[in-house]
Amino acid sequence: MGAKGFFTDTTLCIGCKACEVACKQWNQLPDDGFQFTGMSYDNTSHLGSSTWRHVGFVERPVPLGAQITGAGSFSWLMMSDVCKHCARAGCLESCPTGAIVRTEFDSVYVQPDVCNGCGYCVSACPFGVIDRREDDGRAWKCTLCYDRLREDMVPACAKHCPTASIQYGDLVQLRARAERRVEELHRRGVPEARLYGHSAAAQPGTEGLNAFFLLVDRPEVYKLPPEPVAPARNLRRSWSALAAAAVGMAALALGAVLSP
Amino acid sequence: MGRRETLMSQLRGEPPPADDGRNVDSLLGLLEGEGAAQQVERLAEEHPHPPPSELHDSTSDLETYYGLPLLKEHVWKAAIPAYFYVGGLAGASAALGAAATWSASPLLRGLVRKTRLIATSGAMVSGALLIEDLGRPSRFFNMLRVFRPTSPMSIGSWLLAGFGALSTTAALFRGRRAGPLAAIGDGAAVGAGVLGVPLAGYTAVLLSSTAVPVWQGARTWLPPLFMASAVTSAACVLDLCDLNALERRAVRRFGIAGKAAELVFSKAVEREVARPAILAAPLRHGMSGALWKGAKLLVAASLALSLAPRASPRLRRASAWLGTLGSVALRFGILRAGRISARDPRATFAQQRGGPVTAQAGAPELVPDHAGPAASRDLAPASASEPSKVRAR
Repeated sequence: MGAKGFFTDTTLCIGCKACEVACKQWNQLPDDGFQFTGMSYDNTSHLGSSTWRHVGFVERPVPLGAQITGAGSFSWLMMSDVCKHCARAGCLESCPTGAIVRTEFDSVYVQPDVCNGCGYCVSACPFGVIDRREDDGRAWKCTLCYDRLREDMVPACAKHCPTASIQYGDLVQLRARAERRVEELHRRGVPEARLYGHSAAAQPGTEGLNAFFLLVDRPEVYKLPPEPVAPARNLRRSWSALAAAAVGMAALALGAVLSP
Repeated sequence: MGRRETLMSQLRGEPPPADDGRNVDSLLGLLEGEGAAQQVERLAEEHPHPPPSELHDSTSDLETYYGLPLLKEHVWKAAIPAYFYVGGLAGASAALGAAATWSASPLLRGLVRKTRLIATSGAMVSGALLIEDLGRPSRFFNMLRVFRPTSPMSIGSWLLAGFGALSTTAALFRGRRAGPLAAIGDGAAVGAGVLGVPLAGYTAVLLSSTAVPVWQGARTWLPPLFMASAVTSAACVLDLCDLNALERRAVRRFGIAGKAAELVFSKAVEREVARPAILAAPLRHGMSGALWKGAKLLVAASLALSLAPRASPRLRRASAWLGTLGSVALRFGILRAGRISARDPRATFAQQRGGPVTAQAGAPELVPDHAGPAASRDLAPASASEPSKVRAR
């Protein structure tokens, strides 16, 4: 088994959306209503309960390495977004039913037969990935193609990516490959290339992402949080504050009743 | 539908199921994928484009992705802020009731009875509200399937379950003056009081351990605020009951302290959230801002009335209603603020970058001073193309 994950190299993405289609088809997810945003080629606009891969189209009026188009100092960045399967996952830590579990592949999986649709994970995800489908009542997200992994197959999105922008494999190997790729890009005159969430040291708030990315700009422009934190890291502070307030409240109640 | 059911339904000549947006021909494909169990009733409505953040100007802002939200808005409906109020009311009532039980004063027997009734009915209403808001209400019992210390919702579920049992036991034996049943009732009342105190505040811990910037930003002062507001709620509801002079005095003290603390902690939350300033925007503007400010005004008015030295029954009732409205408005305002905050990606960016955000006329900008060495390299082109966007600290 061992930890599996995705390495999404955005410098290779051509925005074909084959990953979106393959994900929908394999997982038999319903369509999104075929809406038109009118802002870019991105008509999916966000990950959601029935959208587990989402290709973003970023238009930047700055020259960024190999991403320059013919139109002068203008770069076109494309990125296939997905659930990050965080090493420390906000959704998993917040789930009160135990519906969200970590699998033998180190991925984060929502068990549809356990989820009761409380909605807490939706607010706990620092990436805005997991969502509750209102007519279904449960929370859904990418499963890292758990059914395919069990059969020793590559997840549908990675299998269908024509440029190997989405790479699937053992995390240890993926990380080494990603670091080599960054060095290569730096050599080839793309100094902006950097990894996002590839290790616990690089992203302590989530202790690293099992689906990490190679970006050529700051995470914000890709709609990624710059320093995401699993929300349970705030717990100690909040519970201490509650404990202090609890002493105060008990004193109030006793004082109100007992004092002459 | 499994393989067998599909085939059987085809053999029976039944029409294929209505369009579920999957485009799977039931003669050729079987619905067995990871997402096949996802039920679809309303196809077109289900995937609306998220509203851009209210403060966003898509033509000038380079920092966000078309102004689209980074986070998902919370999916809770009015039942959840209503529960925050009712749960707080029940918890604080139980705490006061436990203190009154413990004092064993015969003059406070009426107060003991009333607090026990409020606590148990509050627990029941709380359970109903929480179950109603679930996506799958029939699976409410899964809340007690595991105990997860990292999830305040899990801790809260167990707290509420224990509180419900204890407060109901206490209420059942509220009329007994002596004997084993009275002792059981008193013990249960003290236990309910002990659980009621955290029950009144854990909901704030629950909110502050989410990714929502304004809730996360208030992680130190929101729990005390919710607990003070719970004291206000309980005192106000008890003020509407028929009490003797000694009980009235106890409730008045409890209420005055709660209302004063609520006002102080509101201020503390505002100060805590305002770093960086963009986080506090939902508490200042729009409906959430109106609810937040309204809550403070109502509680202040209620406090002023209850401070009047010889209050007439009518004044007492007015003060109680003002305080109740204030507590309810506070919970709805906080929930609404979280919704607005989740919509604004720049709030998340500013909070995580730790950089100050200039709060200028609704157009705050990021100062990317915390970007790492790799990030700062390509900031130069950004500042060259938009010199006004990047500012030195």
